[in-house]
Amino acid sequence: MKKLLSLLLAVTMVLSLGVFALADGPIEITVWGAEEDQTYLAERIEAFKAAYPDQEFDITLGVESESTAKDTILTDVEAAADVYAFASDQLPDLVNAGAILDLSTVEAALTALAGKTLDDIKAANVEGAITAATYNDKFYAFPFASDGFFMFYDPDYISAEQAETWEGLLDAAAAAGKKVGMTLASGWYNTAFFNAAGFSTSLNADGTTNMDWNGTSPDGYTGVQVVQAMQAIAGHDAFMAIADGDISNQIAGGDLAAVISGTWDTKLVSDTFGEDYEARALPLLTLGEDQVPTRGTVSFKMIGVNPYATNTGWAVMLAEFLTNEESQVARFEAREIPPTNIAASESEAVQANKGVVGLTEAAAVGVVQSVGGKYWDPTASFGEQIAQGTIGTDEASIQTALDQLVEGVTAPVG
Amino acid sequence: MNKIGGAVAGFFRGIGNFFGEFFAAVAKGDWAVKLSLLVWGAGYAKRRQYVKATIMTALEVGLILFSVCFASQYVPKFGTLGTVQMAQEFNIETMQMEFNDYDHSFLILLFSLFSFVVWAVGLVVWMRNTVACYRLQQAAEAGKHINTFKEDCREYLGDKFHITLLTLPIIGIVIFTVIPILLLIFVAFTNYDQQHMPPSALFTWVGFENFKSLFSSGGMTVTFGYAFVRVLGWTLVWAFFATFTTYFGGILMSLLLNSKKTRAPRLWRTLLVITIAVPQFVSLLLVRNFFSNGGIVNTLCARIGLTGWLRSIGLISTSYIPFLTAPGWAHVMIILINIWIGVPYQMLIATGILMNLPSDQLESARVDGANKFQTFRYITMPYMLQVTAPTLVTDFVKNINNFNVIYLLTDGVYTTTNQLMANSQAKEVDLLVTWLFNLTQNYYNYKMAAVIGIVVFIVCAVFTLVAFNFLIRGDKEGVYQ
Repeated sequence: MKKLLSLLLAVTMVLSLGVFALADGPIEITVWGAEEDQTYLAERIEAFKAAYPDQEFDITLGVESESTAKDTILTDVEAAADVYAFASDQLPDLVNAGAILDLSTVEAALTALAGKTLDDIKAANVEGAITAATYNDKFYAFPFASDGFFMFYDPDYISAEQAETWEGLLDAAAAAGKKVGMTLASGWYNTAFFNAAGFSTSLNADGTTNMDWNGTSPDGYTGVQVVQAMQAIAGHDAFMAIADGDISNQIAGGDLAAVISGTWDTKLVSDTFGEDYEARALPLLTLGEDQVPTRGTVSFKMIGVNPYATNTGWAVMLAEFLTNEESQVARFEAREIPPTNIAASESEAVQANKGVVGLTEAAAVGVVQSVGGKYWDPTASFGEQIAQGTIGTDEASIQTALDQLVEGVTAPVG
Repeated sequence: MNKIGGAVAGFFRGIGNFFGEFFAAVAKGDWAVKLSLLVWGAGYAKRRQYVKATIMTALEVGLILFSVCFASQYVPKFGTLGTVQMAQEFNIETMQMEFNDYDHSFLILLFSLFSFVVWAVGLVVWMRNTVACYRLQQAAEAGKHINTFKEDCREYLGDKFHITLLTLPIIGIVIFTVIPILLLIFVAFTNYDQQHMPPSALFTWVGFENFKSLFSSGGMTVTFGYAFVRVLGWTLVWAFFATFTTYFGGILMSLLLNSKKTRAPRLWRTLLVITIAVPQFVSLLLVRNFFSNGGIVNTLCARIGLTGWLRSIGLISTSYIPFLTAPGWAHVMIILINIWIGVPYQMLIATGILMNLPSDQLESARVDGANKFQTFRYITMPYMLQVTAPTLVTDFVKNINNFNVIYLLTDGVYTTTNQLMANSQAKEVDLLVTWLFNLTQNYYNYKMAAVIGIVVFIVCAVFTLVAFNFLIRGDKEGVYQ
């Protein structure tokens, strides 16, 4: 009877308190990184252990793509990894769900052990990356790679001069019987045309997105003008609207003479277009009388720390270590991913990489996107409507379509 | 209808009896029975059933401990679902975060619910226990034999074996089905979404707000009602076509294979069954790639000039055939692809039934000079329908929730061009269940997902009840004979 009682008592206690023992000995940290990064990360984790020989570590490395990190983490924040890599557009959702640590709360540990302040880290990386890692004036993550799209083209069919403007590009491709490919059905890509006109989006503290694409931009262009320019491009015989995620397939297909893509396709482009391929910023867009640069989206990959990590301090140390100059150089060597660390990106190897040069050129006019969760489906649909030509070309139809788009994007969250 | 009425009346009579017995036991019981209201084992102890007395008292103590140690932490907060927001502070000494004693809305909801279920079960046990003690008293007064513990155990392996057998499954159903369903229903009345995600934030009760925004446009989400009606419509259209095309397709296919004129029927049957053997997601993803905008079928159609011809007659405006990327096209394609996936199953079922078709009836039909169509129409089909009506109903319900086919064929491929649908994160080809998946998986809109879940449940339940009532009413049995 007594035994039964004590057993019952024990079971209830465990159930009710969820007790876990304090780490007494090795510091346990779990890390999530992209599948392609596993070898590289394993090496850098060993380097981290070597950097702090006095402390015993037990670091577990798991696979989680940067592009889907948020989905997995938000399923159960408390069970997610302590240190994880993610794409910068996920930051608002992670912050809203309380799944990422405000780094200022642990700055003391960083200063004490690594001798760095958050300002040192901000100064060491490109400004855009720091902007992307900041939300509501708080600094949340350590950036380690630039990400974004630019244009690859095949100089066999298109001259450098023709590649300057969309008209020149499309006409040259048409003359060669080739296509120019771009994804329109994604708010990541199609915002480039609106950015060109000076439109922008911003994010409110409650997770809603501000968007005024149905009005007039600060530069004096209207949303209708932008859509007309997009319709002119999408309606061109040489233009191929590529479904989101299908770009690599289409490059390999061999019909393209130019494509809007990113560093992840560099090798494929080199194989298809030949090693003499060129990479540059997106062409100039004609709006009314003017020609303005098409401003692509600049994104970043970064590493964040879970606020529910057991060993928060050491987790932050590891996150910082995996994104410092040395790690970024090593990552570039392993994966040819453009670094955000200013010193690392000045190396000769980085400067000689055509993809990186193309990205840098695009990033120079690019825009760091700031949007909430309600942005994506409406903008994807809008791009698809332009791709399929379902929006009328008269101003009234375009205005209606833009009004509906803005209504969907700016809708309350929930 | 009488039958349903009878069932309902029987149900309430059962409840009445249950309480009646209990109150009779309390009123007529001796001191031991009355004491067993407080100490569960008392009644057994008086009849020298000490083991049983110990077990019941231990259960009671367990229930009290559970209430005091566990339930008391969560149930009092059930009304608000927690008030203390999570806060944390970094301790440089330990290099760890220190948390305040925060409330976790979801755990409060879940564990309160669990406690309610435990208490409900406890209440029933308590009442049954009193009744059992009273019966013991009656048996003792009548001078009957009182079972020892060993004899009781033997009874549970003999006469009462059904109780022993059913205990585990019922516990399983309560934990894995009843509690999650109740949880889903509760979530529909909260504001559990991306802005209110525990543990970092609290969520609370909002009453019928979520149902309002689903059924009225202009609620919290502008186009939710608009999207809901369209998604529900397509769900029903899909379920209808998916069920009946495969059903009749399967019967026709099996008739074809059963025909004496078909050569090598086994070969054909095996080939068809291979579609079942390959996992659905593999074949569906392959088919999806075949029919994609730049896929093999499109290349083929462009080569033979079909694409150009369709363009010239104005059926398409794109340089490819949007098999899975435009409304209408995608709807038809999905149903067609589903025929290919679903017919083999139905064919197997139909083959089995056709083989059992009473041959005397076919024989007499032949003698009477019925042609093949008449035989099919008046003998084969009625027989098939009578035997397979229940599966037809379950198939329909299964198709309402047919996640695989729709999701695998359209996810990441189909982009809606209807801005209002997109504004509610829906697509024309979404079923309620895929929309629900998208809302929870990509938008963490648990509250609306719960509401849609309830609606799906109601749709399925109503349909099943009505269909079963009409199709397989008891009096229909034997009509065929």
